[in-house]
Amino acid sequence: MRNPNVRLLFLPLFMLASILLPGGRASAASIPHGTVDLIAENQWIAPGRQAYFGLNFHLEKGWHIYWVNPGDSGQPPRVEWHLPEGLNSGEIDWPAPRRLGTSSIVDFGYEDAVMLLVPVRASSTLPTNQAVQLGAQLRVLICREICIPGKAQISLTLPIKSMPPEVDARTRDLFTAARKSLPQREPGDWEFKVSDEKDSFILTAKLGRQTTQATFFPLEESLIDNSSAQKVVTVATGFQLTLRKSDQLLKPIKRLKGVLELSANEAYVIDVAVGDAHSAK
Amino acid sequence: MRRFITFSMLFALAALAIPNLILAAKVGQPAPDFTGTASNNRTYHLADYRGKFVVLEWHNNGCPYTQKHYMSGNMQKLQKQWTAQGVVWFTIISSAQGKQGYIDADGENKYMAKMAAAPTAALLDPTGAIGHAYDAKTTPQMIIINPQGIIIYDGAIDNRPTDDVKDIPVATNYVNVALGQALAGKPVETAATRPYGCSVKYKGSWF
Repeated sequence: MRNPNVRLLFLPLFMLASILLPGGRASAASIPHGTVDLIAENQWIAPGRQAYFGLNFHLEKGWHIYWVNPGDSGQPPRVEWHLPEGLNSGEIDWPAPRRLGTSSIVDFGYEDAVMLLVPVRASSTLPTNQAVQLGAQLRVLICREICIPGKAQISLTLPIKSMPPEVDARTRDLFTAARKSLPQREPGDWEFKVSDEKDSFILTAKLGRQTTQATFFPLEESLIDNSSAQKVVTVATGFQLTLRKSDQLLKPIKRLKGVLELSANEAYVIDVAVGDAHSAK
Repeated sequence: MRRFITFSMLFALAALAIPNLILAAKVGQPAPDFTGTASNNRTYHLADYRGKFVVLEWHNNGCPYTQKHYMSGNMQKLQKQWTAQGVVWFTIISSAQGKQGYIDADGENKYMAKMAAAPTAALLDPTGAIGHAYDAKTTPQMIIINPQGIIIYDGAIDNRPTDDVKDIPVATNYVNVALGQALAGKPVETAATRPYGCSVKYKGSWF
């Protein structure tokens, strides 16, 4: 299945990249139908500060990996960090996903290229004037028509210095792009309501502007029927979105949490109390 | 009148186009009947098994999640344990011809012998008719039907949605729990879960 030509093309590129970019990014590790590397936003680690690192995926055309809620099938990437004492990793910041699939099975994930941001906190007692290695054992499921589990060991060596960290110019654009792909906090003057109807949830959004396009990605599994079309009704101040309930949802829920995407690179994290049908009218 | 006919025809067409919305099986509702041809060349008719518990197991031998439960012997153990207690177990292969997991009768019989699989029968469903009637989404996906023909469980095999064999000993097996409760005459506490695994490789699906 693997296309040898693509790999032959990629390999020298990444070897070159690892020579040109010492420190900021290590050479990419191979995963089935793609590569992954660990990259740093800053040139060094400073004690007492938090810094961002990226799990930078490149996938061959047509292959995808998964969001934190994979949808109807699949599995999100899992990372086991191997960090020296004094460094602690946080949770992955997941970019807004895409709907993958067309028929009765719809998954949520990423195609082509994606970078997952992870914060790492350095203790204030971390000894300076040394270099440390950050390592991660990655397990990832890569799918196109079929799914292949992959494993990769990725690592990066960075110095520790007491002076304030400086951004690494070589990775700056990647981090800027990754932050753009993250769902944002909703503006304070927006209002959301969710009403619980028999077979669906109706999300009503008042955004102060007419909105014709909206897609909701539930953070938790088994809330909505992933493959059902999400019907958008445009109103003067926003929209109404109909989300068909999942067959696996047997009990009422209190809140609907997830990512609301209004257009490419415009997505928001929402967390809305679920009211009964009356309170939303 | 002509307009009425046109509308009803449209509706019928829509019903054909989106069968999963209209016919999808649900926990607490009657299990859609089916007739399936097995790899042993026999024909099995679900309605003939009223009075028995029936397990449906969606299967694709190329899927890493299916392999997790077969290479470890976990699925075969379940099949032996429950068929020994009178439960009917159908392994169902809904992969279309040319897609991963598609297999002919001869190939499936050899696979089952090699793996020491012990379902009542392996049903070959390359048209996806049975899979779509139950809206099966993943391999493995597990459905349990009670002796009255009602679906009492639909979802994952266990609570560890991974392809890692090491998770099997620490997982809660939903099928064991549900069958244990149902055979003891108790209601099934966890009746619907999100199935995990590979997507079912239906005809016309692009992944």
